[in-house]
Amino acid sequence: MQGDELRQQIKEVMVEELMLDYKAVEIGNKTAIFGAHGLGLDSVDALQLVVALEKHFGLKIGDSSAAKGVLENVETIAAEIEKSA
Amino acid sequence: MRSILITGGNGGLGLAIGRYFLDHDPAARIWLGVRANRSHATILAAAHPERCHLLDLEATDPAAWQSAVARILGADERLDVLVNNAGMHRDCLLAAMPTDAWHQVISANLDATFHGCRAVIAPMMRQRFGRIVNIASLSAIMPPLGQTNYAAAKAGVVALSRTLAKEVARSGITVNSVLPGYIETDALGEMDEETRKQARKGIPMRRFGNPAEVAAAVYFLASTDAAYITGAALKIDGGIF
Repeated sequence: MQGDELRQQIKEVMVEELMLDYKAVEIGNKTAIFGAHGLGLDSVDALQLVVALEKHFGLKIGDSSAAKGVLENVETIAAEIEKSA
Repeated sequence: MRSILITGGNGGLGLAIGRYFLDHDPAARIWLGVRANRSHATILAAAHPERCHLLDLEATDPAAWQSAVARILGADERLDVLVNNAGMHRDCLLAAMPTDAWHQVISANLDATFHGCRAVIAPMMRQRFGRIVNIASLSAIMPPLGQTNYAAAKAGVVALSRTLAKEVARSGITVNSVLPGYIETDALGEMDEETRKQARKGIPMRRFGNPAEVAAAVYFLASTDAAYITGAALKIDGGIF
């Protein structure tokens, strides 16, 4: 899976696994995942997201410094999934 | 099918917890974490060959935890319940306590609980379900003389449980601790009769608890009925407070 379909799937996984109060369509590809100006998720969400991405996409994120770059937004997550496919 | 790991699986409490699950839940598969001393656990496993298995597990070794969890997931494809029951005493007044008595008790009780919780979190998060029940002790809040090490470790277990409960609550995982008081196990059997008599006087129910009474509480906290209970520290002590 890649392209728009992958990005949509990532958003749906985020909404479901993190129990977000957003619909998938409301999440922009470049909306910041963390921080007050983005989706406002926290470190607990980050952990859950890492587990969910491995479960649904087979994406293994090695450590917290790698996670910071990968989990910036949906676009960076999708790029990492496509890279490792 | 429900997959349950109980550490300290050869001791009185571990065995009682294992038996309780086996007797009350036909879907339970029990893994008893044991070390070299496993004679009692072997008997229980032999009586329930399809549903009860022994697992080599040195609870203070993170690599051993990784292997144990991998083995359970390989066999059952899930891990629903962890009961961190392994622990030990080395009582001594602090002024005379050898350094290794401090470290050994902290390691066996608190570090072991940390390693266990850390090993099971990711699989439980993937399942979006988990129950962690940590066996602390009444000593965490009402310690007798000679247990600075044990009391500190068990108080740490309670604090760890309450903190972790908040971290994993959104993932469908509950984390609770139980604080048994005087329970009839081998450890209590080492007390002389006069000490036992004095201890019973301090218990409003005037009797010691039995391991099945602790097991019943663990079973409840591990059940789906306890889904909204997390971060709790449940005293099981006949009313001492």
